[in-house]
Amino acid sequence: MVNNQKVKIDQMKSPSLKMGNVEIVLGKIEDDWDEPMGPTPMPTLSELREWDMKLLNRYDPFYSPICDMCCNCAYGKCDLTNGKKGACGIDQKNQQARTIALESVIGAACHGAHARHVLGVQIQRLGNDFKIDMGLDIACEAPITRTVTGIKPRTLGDFKEALDYAEGEIQNVLASIHTGQEGNYKDFESKALHIGMVDNLVKEVGDIVQIVGYDFPVGQADAPLAEIGAGTVDGKKPVILMIGHNVAAGAEVVTYAEAYNKMDDVEIAGICCTAHDLTRLNPKSKIIGPMSEQIRFIRSGIADIIILDEQCIRTDILEEAEKVGSLVLTTNDKATAGLPDMTRIPADEIVNKLVNRDIRGAMILKEEKVGEVAIKAAEAIAPLREGRKAIPNGKNVIIEAKKCTACEECRRHCPPDLHISEAMTKGKIADFEGLSELREHCIGCGRCEQACPKDIPIISMMEKASEKMIKEQKFMIRSGRGPILDTEIRHVGRPIVFGEIPGVVAFAGCNNYANGAKEVAEIAEEFLKRRYIVVTSGCAAMSLAMYHDEDGKSLYEKYPGDFDQSSLANCGSCVSNSHILGAAIKIPHIFARRDLRANFEEIADYIHNRVGAVGVVWGTYSQKALSIGTGLNRWGIPTIMGPTGVKYRRLYLGRNDKPKTWELFNAKNGDKLIGDAMPAHLAYVAESKEEAIIAIARLVMRPNDTTKGRQIKLTHYTDLYKRYYGRMPPDIHTYIRVEGDIPITEKDEIKKILKKVQWKEKTIPDPTLLERMIRQRVS
Amino acid sequence: MERITSWVKTHHAGSSQARPIEPDTAVRIISNADKPTVIIGSRIMDLDGAPLDRIIRLSRALDMPIVATAHSGKFLKERGFTNYVEMAVVEITNVATDNKWGGIEGYGRPDLVMVLGSHLDLMNATFQSLKNFSNIPTMSLSRFFMVNATYSFPNLNDDIWIQCLDEVCDKIEKSHL
Repeated sequence: MVNNQKVKIDQMKSPSLKMGNVEIVLGKIEDDWDEPMGPTPMPTLSELREWDMKLLNRYDPFYSPICDMCCNCAYGKCDLTNGKKGACGIDQKNQQARTIALESVIGAACHGAHARHVLGVQIQRLGNDFKIDMGLDIACEAPITRTVTGIKPRTLGDFKEALDYAEGEIQNVLASIHTGQEGNYKDFESKALHIGMVDNLVKEVGDIVQIVGYDFPVGQADAPLAEIGAGTVDGKKPVILMIGHNVAAGAEVVTYAEAYNKMDDVEIAGICCTAHDLTRLNPKSKIIGPMSEQIRFIRSGIADIIILDEQCIRTDILEEAEKVGSLVLTTNDKATAGLPDMTRIPADEIVNKLVNRDIRGAMILKEEKVGEVAIKAAEAIAPLREGRKAIPNGKNVIIEAKKCTACEECRRHCPPDLHISEAMTKGKIADFEGLSELREHCIGCGRCEQACPKDIPIISMMEKASEKMIKEQKFMIRSGRGPILDTEIRHVGRPIVFGEIPGVVAFAGCNNYANGAKEVAEIAEEFLKRRYIVVTSGCAAMSLAMYHDEDGKSLYEKYPGDFDQSSLANCGSCVSNSHILGAAIKIPHIFARRDLRANFEEIADYIHNRVGAVGVVWGTYSQKALSIGTGLNRWGIPTIMGPTGVKYRRLYLGRNDKPKTWELFNAKNGDKLIGDAMPAHLAYVAESKEEAIIAIARLVMRPNDTTKGRQIKLTHYTDLYKRYYGRMPPDIHTYIRVEGDIPITEKDEIKKILKKVQWKEKTIPDPTLLERMIRQRVS
Repeated sequence: MERITSWVKTHHAGSSQARPIEPDTAVRIISNADKPTVIIGSRIMDLDGAPLDRIIRLSRALDMPIVATAHSGKFLKERGFTNYVEMAVVEITNVATDNKWGGIEGYGRPDLVMVLGSHLDLMNATFQSLKNFSNIPTMSLSRFFMVNATYSFPNLNDDIWIQCLDEVCDKIEKSHL
């Protein structure tokens, strides 16, 4: 469909008509948006390629293949090591970039399909013309949608066009991955970046639709606190467990419980992002925790009904549920688990079949019916639950531990390299402390059990050993607030751009941690104490909640939920992390009055050079986390991953020994100069918590920092470096442009270093990578 | 003879596999290199820092800089050792894949990269990256058989690993000091 396309006619002559200098806009007319259409409405793959190449020349992709082969077609397998090409001509770099593009497509497709589903549900409920109203404090309701598509959504129906665009781009990039298509690794990366941006867009659509459709909090800094942790679930009540990311079915369970006054009679709890969204709907819902809790909680036997929606749900849930007699409902056609389709069967009939165990579960694709069936079935089977669990008793833990021969197969398959056999040795003499300690670091994947030649139920043994701790696992989390208010941006925009607020640190991602989840909370608190702005969403937001300080308070109880210094703003589920990027986009719009409408490059250029934001994905697991991070990268925002992030195979690393790659324009006078090497990297992996902390302090620096701002940022950087690395940063001189940048407390020491390296003052530019942004050329 | 498999079973990546080596072979390869270097990481303090002490000995004997990744430089400083550069493991690996890289300041481009004491997936990433995109041979001095290195110690228990490191240090010191 042609939309908002400008056609300019310089001169036209026909026998009956003569005209010249005419401009016609084709498509939908936007009559009450005062911004003119920008240069790239709904950009195609090639339209932002030039921008991508600017980034990719600066941050040349680094690859660490986890597979040497290409197995994608029937020519292969092809061995691509030592410079060998495959049968189709592809080389190793190109194959890695191709894999990245594919994984990004998978991630974006998941968020896109989620958005399309909830949009369909809400349009059916509320109508096409239902207004997008984000309240008085949010005029810029959809910053990503505005910037990428040039659409200012006024109604639910307006989002259809944005999703049509996204789906077209997803299809196009997927096609480029077919054998015998793209032949250049940077072009594949450009496609991955493109689809990352599309991922940002569809997440924003998905969450705005959820917010207006379900009446979620809208930018509410004091959104209600909700309970999180397996210990918060009252096993005496009927328990309904929801797993996944799409709250459409879960919402109907809450709605049914509310309508029949059952919220206090049943436990509605969730794992992963659906749980976030349940608490946004009704804070009486409970969050058990991130996705690592799936096997553990199911084996506890407490869940009467398990409702699956989509994404990051274990594919063996049905098998696990059967061990303890829990019933399973699948509610989304992307994950149906082989269950019979009961969508058209009356609710009471389904309940009877479930309760009588005629079926082990059902696929129900009508959300309202899921609500009714889940509550009724849970109430019916809960009284029969007693003793139904797959966790061994203490005596059996000893018996199982005695089977262990310390062959180490478990450890050799364990992603965080846990020393399981040592804990087993202790377990043999009824010392369960080792098993309990393991649980703190365990990601709950179950690979150890699959590898064990003696079939020892390692996860279940850890659960038994940690029984007391699990019962006490009760924390508080602030439910997802959704977007950042325009008024908050007005307050912090200037100090962020000038560097006086040292940075915005965004925690997102999965819970595949190398050293346990506690590290995420420790990293976040380091920056909360230092007056950075901390924002979060998804599984990371849960991990931040799951630690008490000495006074028994979680970070959410200690720090307010605003988008401000020393505040911890939880935006909500995975799709809600679009609001974190949205806040970065609103800064140039609200503070610097830059137009957003179809103006991607200018906004990304502004963010890259001026907004000291960094994404931290300390646990990496899903393709969605990759597309989220790649999307942020296209807007010029750096991301830091934990060690497991290296298994995504690709990073974007800068080189400070290659000054030409840091060229930029001074918009004030048109000078081309070598800018600061910052942000130093665009996609980075840190090995340890300490390294991540240093990397955050380093990657929030921007060429635009004022001297006061740079001084503040360097004060934190040097202080942290001394604390964690034990000395002054050896690269300190590279961050100092003028003497005013030097942290006051380190002045003498740094001046000596500057003298030694024969440091010279540098111009502080008005930085831009876009030649067209030069305001005035001075020859 | 039992086939040596990667310590992390899923690190097997394709058609090639590291050559398992004993201390004598390691000494010969290290001695033949003009500019060997060693990368250490956040797990170098395992076994109360026993591996770190051996690497310091090796570095002193070969006058070889240590590339300290993550926060491992702090431990070198605490031991009064100064011949090290601080870089992220992904940074040093990235530059080492560039044939035009000038090398470590004051030392040059390594012609042998040894690694130990890092997160296992990061060590593997270093070996995989250098295997695919550089001509620099690599050696795992960790206690695990790292299948994507050029040379690697086999899978060893802690005591034997430290004995192997001692043997390498003793022989290098004898021939270089």
